[in-house]
Amino acid sequence: MDLKTLVARAKRGLREELRLYLVAVSSLSVAFLCVGGALLAVSNLDQMAARWGQSGRISVYLRDSVAAADVRQLRTVLEGLPEVAQVEELSSEDARALFLEQADVSADLGRLPVEVFPASLEVSLRAGTPVQRIDAIGERLARLRAVEDVETYRGWFGRLDALIGAGRTVAGLLTLLVGLCVLAVIGNTIRLAVARRREEIEVMKLCGATDGFVRGPFVLEGMFQGFASALVAVVVLFFAYLALRGHVDSSIASLTGMRTVFLRPWALVSLVVGGAIVGALGSALSLRRYLAV
Amino acid sequence: MPSDDDKVVRPFPFFRAGAQSSGVSRPILVFEDVYKYFRRDRPTLRGVNLTIERGEFAFVTGPSGAGKSTLLQLVYRKHTVDGGRILFCGRDIARLKERSIPFLRRNLGIVFQDFKIVKHWTVFENVAVALEILSMPKRLVRSRVAEALERVGLAGRGEDRTEALSGGEQQRVAVARAIVTEPALILADEPTGNLDPHLAIDILTLFEEINATGTTVLFATHDHSLISKRDHRIIGIDDGRVVEARTGLRSWADAVGPEGGRGTSGSSGLHVVAG
Repeated sequence: MDLKTLVARAKRGLREELRLYLVAVSSLSVAFLCVGGALLAVSNLDQMAARWGQSGRISVYLRDSVAAADVRQLRTVLEGLPEVAQVEELSSEDARALFLEQADVSADLGRLPVEVFPASLEVSLRAGTPVQRIDAIGERLARLRAVEDVETYRGWFGRLDALIGAGRTVAGLLTLLVGLCVLAVIGNTIRLAVARRREEIEVMKLCGATDGFVRGPFVLEGMFQGFASALVAVVVLFFAYLALRGHVDSSIASLTGMRTVFLRPWALVSLVVGGAIVGALGSALSLRRYLAV
Repeated sequence: MPSDDDKVVRPFPFFRAGAQSSGVSRPILVFEDVYKYFRRDRPTLRGVNLTIERGEFAFVTGPSGAGKSTLLQLVYRKHTVDGGRILFCGRDIARLKERSIPFLRRNLGIVFQDFKIVKHWTVFENVAVALEILSMPKRLVRSRVAEALERVGLAGRGEDRTEALSGGEQQRVAVARAIVTEPALILADEPTGNLDPHLAIDILTLFEEINATGTTVLFATHDHSLISKRDHRIIGIDDGRVVEARTGLRSWADAVGPEGGRGTSGSSGLHVVAG
């Protein structure tokens, strides 16, 4: 069977079972929306992890009694390291002011004395600095006399990694679950269409049609259903993202220091192509028992 | 330069109506000691031996449940024989692999009592499907369908919805679909069963016209009033055995009576061929 005939027969099938297919596409779109939503959450977590992982930071807290010359010397040493992009000195007063500005807390905390906030050197590392190197720098700095404590934020990043890992697992399971749902819904839809068109299949088989000839248009119809459902889900997800972004972006930016992002092009293409493949597969599987004529 | 007809996928070209594979004419269909069981204790067909010559018109008759339809279904491989073999143009049908069955059916025209046409398709679509399966070019499909519809008396009706046609016209569509590929053998399984006597004669005449062009026709019916009007070979089936009368059908029909004469072969002057 040539492609033109195949497409023509699939189009006729879609036209004849339009209402059935519309119901199926709407159900499948909801399923794909769940997958898309999970992918969106994971990709944003990934983005956050990548951003924070790349812009490594070390806070070097200084002893109260440290001399200004020691601080200058320490700063010079730090600025000489190839991994260090910038060193910023933060006095106790600056640290207190910054805390009160960012913390959004009641006025009572404004009475906290300056001594509560230690002076520090805020070290920004260059992008791509390996974790081991950050740890090594932190350990060496901690041994210095002028240094009270060093925070490399590794523990926090570890927790974030665990969170992203869990998110990925959940998204993976959700994708698997939705994949099975999509297979079942497409399979059942095609099975219904096949049952209604059993006579047509019987006629074709009796005229000498191969299984491939009979199956072709149904597989194409299933593929189209999966494709259309995934596409509808992507479009709905995009508009939902645009609508919600304005409301949540500023909150997320203040919490994480980054703005939300939509799915990357490869993820969008994967979702739509995956939908088409799952649709075709569901259709092919559901047809098997109707071909024995 | 190859013609459009040369592009058609037809794996066994020698099966075509009127075609001869060699100088020697061999039977188109041979049943050799064929058994078919649907119940272990009672065979539907028992030791059937039968030869159908190329270009022949034969009635297959017998009472309901005698095995007429089963005999035809074995030919188009709806079922497989449990014993013996069936040779179609010298090839053993039972030994065909599943993937070869479509190619066997492309060389057969099959007509059923319930027409087996797709009601929501047009007349053209119902006939053209047999050619689309052969990957025939559209231009050729159009001309061949028009020709087939003309042969069955439905010229110019291609665009009509099939569900809007009368029973007789629907059966003509089924016949057109069966002949449009120019098969070597037409299997008609009670094609007049759902039609009134007048239409039944029309359809029978149509099959005879098709037979006159060289196509072999096996026409299964239990309607003796129809058989008695024509002088064709009769293959009687009774209780799974073949009971054959080659000539003198009027006397045969008279002898077996209106019920088909189950178990009366001995008194009817017919000879039990097998079983």
